[in-house]
Amino acid sequence: MGLITLPADVPWLSLIWLSMLVPAIIIAVIPDRYPDLMRWVGTGFALLSLILSLLVFLAYDPGRGGFQFIEQLDWIPQLGISYLLGVDGINLPMLLLNGIVIFTGALMSWNIEERTKEYWVWLLLLTTGVYGVFSALDLFLFFVFYELAVLPMYLLIGIWGSTRKEYGAMKLTLFLMAGSALVIIGMIGLYFGSGLRTFNMLVLAEQGFISGNLQWLLFPALFVGFGVLAGMFPFHTWSPTGHVAAPTAVSMLHAGVLMKLGAYGCLRAAMWLMPVGAREWLPIIVVLTVFNVVYGASIAMVQRDAKFIIGYSSVSHMGLVVMALAAGTQIALLGAVLQMFAHGIMTALFFAVVGRMIYDRTHTRQLPELGGLGRVMPFAAAMFILGGLSSMGMPGLAGFWAEFNIFIGVWERYPLVAVIAALSIPITGAYILRAVWSVFYDEVKNPEFLHLPRLTWQEYTGALVLALVLVGLGLYPAWMTELIDTGVRPLAARLSEVAVALR
Amino acid sequence: MFQLTDIPRLLPEILLLVLALLVLGSDILERWGRSPSAQLERVKSSASLTAIGLGMVLAVALLQSGYIYQLPETAPVNFFTNIIRNLQSGGPSNEGAIAGVFVVDHLTMIARLLIIGAALLTSLLCLDIRPDAHPGEFYALIIFATLGMCLMVGANELLLAYLAIELTSIPLYLLAGYFRNNARSAEAGLKYFLFGAISSAILLYGMSMAFGAALNGVSGAANMNDLTRFNRIGAFTSSSGSLITMAMLFIIAGMGYKLAVVPFHGWSPDVYEGAPAPVTAFISTASKAAGFILLFRLLTETFPAMAGAPVLGDDAGGWTAVLAVLALLTVVIGNLAALPQNNARRLLAYSSIAHAGFVLLGMLAWAAAQPFDREQGLIALLYYLIIYSLTNLGAFGVLALIGQQVGGEDFAHLRGLSRRNLPLALLFTVCILSLAGIPPLGGFFAKFYIFMAGWQSGATWLVIIAVVMTIVSLYYYLRLLKVMFIEPTTDLSPVTMPRGIAAALTIAVVGVLVLGIFPNVILSVLEKV
Repeated sequence: MGLITLPADVPWLSLIWLSMLVPAIIIAVIPDRYPDLMRWVGTGFALLSLILSLLVFLAYDPGRGGFQFIEQLDWIPQLGISYLLGVDGINLPMLLLNGIVIFTGALMSWNIEERTKEYWVWLLLLTTGVYGVFSALDLFLFFVFYELAVLPMYLLIGIWGSTRKEYGAMKLTLFLMAGSALVIIGMIGLYFGSGLRTFNMLVLAEQGFISGNLQWLLFPALFVGFGVLAGMFPFHTWSPTGHVAAPTAVSMLHAGVLMKLGAYGCLRAAMWLMPVGAREWLPIIVVLTVFNVVYGASIAMVQRDAKFIIGYSSVSHMGLVVMALAAGTQIALLGAVLQMFAHGIMTALFFAVVGRMIYDRTHTRQLPELGGLGRVMPFAAAMFILGGLSSMGMPGLAGFWAEFNIFIGVWERYPLVAVIAALSIPITGAYILRAVWSVFYDEVKNPEFLHLPRLTWQEYTGALVLALVLVGLGLYPAWMTELIDTGVRPLAARLSEVAVALR
Repeated sequence: MFQLTDIPRLLPEILLLVLALLVLGSDILERWGRSPSAQLERVKSSASLTAIGLGMVLAVALLQSGYIYQLPETAPVNFFTNIIRNLQSGGPSNEGAIAGVFVVDHLTMIARLLIIGAALLTSLLCLDIRPDAHPGEFYALIIFATLGMCLMVGANELLLAYLAIELTSIPLYLLAGYFRNNARSAEAGLKYFLFGAISSAILLYGMSMAFGAALNGVSGAANMNDLTRFNRIGAFTSSSGSLITMAMLFIIAGMGYKLAVVPFHGWSPDVYEGAPAPVTAFISTASKAAGFILLFRLLTETFPAMAGAPVLGDDAGGWTAVLAVLALLTVVIGNLAALPQNNARRLLAYSSIAHAGFVLLGMLAWAAAQPFDREQGLIALLYYLIIYSLTNLGAFGVLALIGQQVGGEDFAHLRGLSRRNLPLALLFTVCILSLAGIPPLGGFFAKFYIFMAGWQSGATWLVIIAVVMTIVSLYYYLRLLKVMFIEPTTDLSPVTMPRGIAAALTIAVVGVLVLGIFPNVILSVLEKV
């Protein structure tokens, strides 16, 4: 039994993504002279979507496991395409994560004065897509939502961004679309190769017999296609550039949720549907992720722009996620999903502090120009340090449990990789401390910074929500791990079955 | 033999002919004053007559097709049901061709609806972007071209096919060069005419060779009749003769010119850029769609045994392999050439070249082993043509408006459009994103479907290249978005949207959205072919 019981005849998952599409339409018709109304509508519906996803999260029954809240409608039956939604222990935390990040992101967007209406419409469309991807169980539907999530990003970064925004926006969009081209090829290959002529992932996973050779060919298309979005080395270069160029809420969503969407795609579409291909390719992929983890952290070490530090730290942390996926054991997968959640919250907090609280006031993010801000805004300092500690894997915070599980899981399969990857832990500590020191504690280099505007209630609320989740998950991880475990257990079993069969 | 009962089956064509004559007549027979206001009145009357007339023809054709409403057998007999019953008796059926040369099957009917619909949208665009002289001729030429295209899609015989092509092309040459005081337009007309004439010659040569090959293969005097029909040629020729192979190549080349397929595309960017904008919209959509359907009939019925396979390796051969090579060139060169363009109309011209390459992918499906997959190929092809026509009419319609109001179609003229007229910019954005193939717009599903069809034909390599090229295309489509939304502008004077254009654009965009999200609305109709 779930903690609460919801009426079964309500399409909860559809309601979640509709709760982002509807306000986009409402805001589009609000006259330009009421920007505050748009903000209230946007934030209100973001809160609604968070509440809805929280309800589903609480009502999910971990004892029963498997897919629940399934909704199915024929969409294009001629081609075996259906509107199929459902959640299990893997995508449910992601839905909740998206709810938290969009709600706090909306709170951080209240200072957008230029072309407010367009901003909110694109932001909400983007979130619609993300919610859709995390609940879709039909490959075609999955892809439609996926593209819907990518494209608004181009305009959001291009119009409201900073620091080489047009370059960053174009690079990001082209990289992600190139990834989606691979995904299309993989999808069509699966459709015909399985002999079932359906995009229904449930059917494909249970009944699809896809020959080993075909899996060997198609697995990289899907895994790398989604891996681009997860920031997989060597296709990660769009990510720091894009994060730096994006406005705050978009950085939060992007690093916090969209990169997870890539990792989720790798797990759901590639590994779940093609375990044999996974068996063949994952040892190669795990080597790439070592670069992600160690190289990403080292690059973060030498950055001067605070957002670049967080950008490369995302590359490093997402590398851990993909590495855990590549290890494929139950503990590693558990750690991967937990890391997706923990890193999403943590990085959203980082970007909120650096992008909204600091950059929008000081108009610089260069470490040598900042300094002493801890005295001006102690709250921002506290939040940044909290996020930083979680990033370093301090026990008692969410990041610790995630990384702990990942390293144990990877050790089971690839001990050497785990040892090398563990190098990133001291490096992470070093760059986080360096950032904390030079932003908040160093002497004040620019006296104007002593008279910065105070933080608004939106900033306090948003950051506190994120911080609470971070601490809550750190102190009592079981409310999440138990659920994730029901989701990854069948997947890990499937992967090891294949391993036995191949031997 | 032509029978009296065949008249309802030809009703759309007959109505178009009557309409064209009416438009001409209303212009010639009425005594128009010389004052500017009287001249404006003259243009307006021709334009509205055309738009209303085409709307009515479309309505009749829709009713006749029975796709929206099929009169039940048990309907009570009264005045209205009698009219509808008579109309629908001439609807699409599997009866023999009219006089042996013109088939009215579902393919013809769907293509007719597409073409008349495209002509209607074009005439709506023309309500506000008017010709400066001889309006009656301008509009009548559009209708004559429409008539020619309708004949093209149903043609079942070489001579009718050729005549229909000429009936389409000659009005289009004139229309392209209609603004003869404008050097660009005059150049477009002349260029279009010269290339068109050469391609007609090549096509005719190919057709005569096909006829000759059939004549060689036929035995017995009784079979000598009707040797110009597509399927009779197919029946009496072997698949390996050198003459029939040459015929096939010449016919593909001749049609390739009309369809602006690389390497026969040289004329199209100049013509698309120079011709009056609504005419460009018309040429790039309806005439291409008609050409593709005629090519489909020609290849599948005249050369059924020569389909071959578009695979890599020794098994390649036949016309699907030829088309696969053309598609490869078209997709790659069309997209790459579009990258450096700085004129939006020229950019869209190259983009439509590239799109022709995607359409060819749908034709390859004829090489598939199972009939089911072949049908899927044809459905994908039709769906693609419909979405592409709607989208391109919308996109060129926006450019027509920009050209008229801002004075040009360079990127500089589009700059900051989102702040000068947001609805217009959004309409344009939907069209561009649909061309780029972004879900949930129609262009995405069209591309996806055609990739699936191409994949099943064995041309997996080509599908992969085409998918890669869509990423390349995204770059130039995003450039258009960037100009409209991101780049700053000094000129913030609003751009107004006249009603005719607004109506045409709205129809196109709503069509792209609805057909994109609910493709089975139209797939169920397309499946009848």
